[in-house]
Amino acid sequence: MSTEKAVKVLLVDDEDAFRQALAKRLERRRIEVFQAADGKSALEALKAFPVNVAVMDVKMPGMDGLETMACIKRDFPDTEVILLTGHAAVEDGIAGIRAGAFDYLQKPVETENLLNKIHQAYDKSRHQHDLAKEAELREALEKQMATAERLASLGTLAAGVAHEINNPLAIISEAAGYLQLLLKKDECREMPFHDRFEKAIEKIEKSVKRARRTTMQLLGFAGQPDAVYREIELDDLVEEVILLAAGQASAAGVTVAKEKNPSSVTLWTDPHRLRQVLINLVSNGIAACGRGGRVSLSFDSSNDWATIQVKDTGHGIPKENLERIFEPFFTTKPPGKGTGLGLFVSLDIVKRLGGDMQVKSKVGKGTIFQVSVPRLSKTCPGVCNDIDWRDKARELERRDNHGTGAH
Amino acid sequence: MVRVPINILVVDDEEDFVEMFSLRLEEMGEIVKGVNSGQECLDVLESTDVDVVILDIKMPGMDGIETLREIKRRRPITEVILLTGHGTTDTAVEGMKLGAFDYLNKPADFKDLMEKLEGARKRKAEQEERIRKAESRSLMRRSGNLF
Repeated sequence: MSTEKAVKVLLVDDEDAFRQALAKRLERRRIEVFQAADGKSALEALKAFPVNVAVMDVKMPGMDGLETMACIKRDFPDTEVILLTGHAAVEDGIAGIRAGAFDYLQKPVETENLLNKIHQAYDKSRHQHDLAKEAELREALEKQMATAERLASLGTLAAGVAHEINNPLAIISEAAGYLQLLLKKDECREMPFHDRFEKAIEKIEKSVKRARRTTMQLLGFAGQPDAVYREIELDDLVEEVILLAAGQASAAGVTVAKEKNPSSVTLWTDPHRLRQVLINLVSNGIAACGRGGRVSLSFDSSNDWATIQVKDTGHGIPKENLERIFEPFFTTKPPGKGTGLGLFVSLDIVKRLGGDMQVKSKVGKGTIFQVSVPRLSKTCPGVCNDIDWRDKARELERRDNHGTGAH
Repeated sequence: MVRVPINILVVDDEEDFVEMFSLRLEEMGEIVKGVNSGQECLDVLESTDVDVVILDIKMPGMDGIETLREIKRRRPITEVILLTGHGTTDTAVEGMKLGAFDYLNKPADFKDLMEKLEGARKRKAEQEERIRKAESRSLMRRSGNLF
C-alpha cells in the first residue's frame, strides 16, 4: 500500500486533550495533521503550512470559529472548513454553513464520519483549485489570442494604409519637385512671390518626407523583409549598436558604453532585426538623457534565454505613460520628431523572435529596457529549413560547457 | 559638354503620378514617355527605343513582375528600375533576380532615382558596346573567310 499523505488537515480546538486525541486518530488514517489552539495561531499556521481542509471548533476563546473561518475564506480561498459544534448546537452549524463552511459535525465526533467529511472537503478543495487554475489559464490564453489577432489585423490594416498613402504621397512629391525645377528656370527668376513659392514647396517636401518615414515604419511593422537567422556573439552585436549610435550620441553629448560582461553569449537569431530593436532603444535612451547622460548596454544569458539591458540616466517615464509606450503612435516628442512607432515595432519584432520586452523607469533617475530572446529562435521554421536545430543546439551547448567549465 | 538625354518609359497605373513624374524628368533633360499598364509598356517597346523603363510593381492586370519578365524576354538589353509602394523588399528582390537593374520605394528620393537612372543607362551603354564589338569581330572573321 502506498503511504501517500496527500490530505493535509489543520485541526483547531482550544481543548488540548480532545485535539491531540483526534489528531492521533486522524494520523493513523494517514492524514497529515497540523494543530492550533486558537483562531489566531490557526491563521499563522495556514500561512506557513497551507492545507486543504481545516477542522475547527466553533466555541473558542478570543477569535471564535466563525470569525476565524471568515479570515480563512478571505485569505486562503482554497481551504475548506469543517466546523465542530457543541452537542445540540445546530444553529451554530447552520450559521457556519451559511458563512461558507463545507459542513459541520456535532461533538462528540465519530472518527469515521469526520474522515468521510474530510475526504469530501478535500475533493471539493482540489476541484475548486483546478477550476480556478483552469479559468486563470483560459483567461491568459484568451488574452494572448486577442493580442495576436489584434496585431494581425492591425498589420493588414497598416500595410493597406501605408500603401494607399505612399502612392498619393509619390504624386505630391513629384509635383512639388517639378515645381521646384520650374522655379529655378531663368524665366521664373523675376516671377512675383518667387521666394514664397520656393518656401512653400520646401514645406511640402519636408512634410512628404515626414509622412514617408511614418508609412515606412508602418510597413516595417506589417511586412518585414525575410528574416535571416544566423549565429551571433551578443558582444559583437552590442559593439555594432554602440558604433552605429556614436553619431547621435556625440551630437547629444551622451556617453554610450558597454558594461563589463563576465562571459560571451552566443545565440541563434535574426541579427538584423535584433540590432534594429537595440538601436531603437539606445536612440530613445540618448534622446531621454541631457548632456552628460549615459546609456549603458549589458547582456546575460541563462540556459535557453539571452537578455539584453539598455539602461539610461535620462528623465525617466512617468507612471501614466509607462503603460502606453508600446501603443502605436504614442509619443511624447513634438509633432514631426517621433512617429510613435519605434517601441511598438520593436516589441513586435522581439515577439516575432519569440521573446519579450520589459521596462522599468523612475522619473528623474532613468529607464531600463530589458529584451529577452530565446537563444535558439525557432520562430521562423520556413526560413531555416535547411538547418538542423539539434546540431545547432548541441554546438551551442558544447560552447557553453567549454566556456564555463560546467559538466 | 552637353549631356545625352536618357530615353525613359514610365509605367504606373496612377495617371497623375506618371504625368508629374514625367514632367519632372523632362525638366531634368530626359526624353520621357508615360503609360498606365504593362501591356501598353510592351506595345511602346515594340516601336520605340527606350534605355530605361521605370516600372511600378503593383498594377492591375499584368503586374510589374510579369511585365518585367516579358521585357527581358523580348528586349533583354532594356534596363528596368522597379518602383514599389509596398515597402516589402522581397518582390523587389525577386525582380532583380529577373534582371531588373534596381528598385526604389515610393515616394522615391529624387537624387537616389537620378543616380540609379544614370547607373542603368551606363550599364546599357556598356552592354551595347560589348555587343557591337562582338558583332564587328564576327564580321571581320566572316569577311576574312571571304578572301
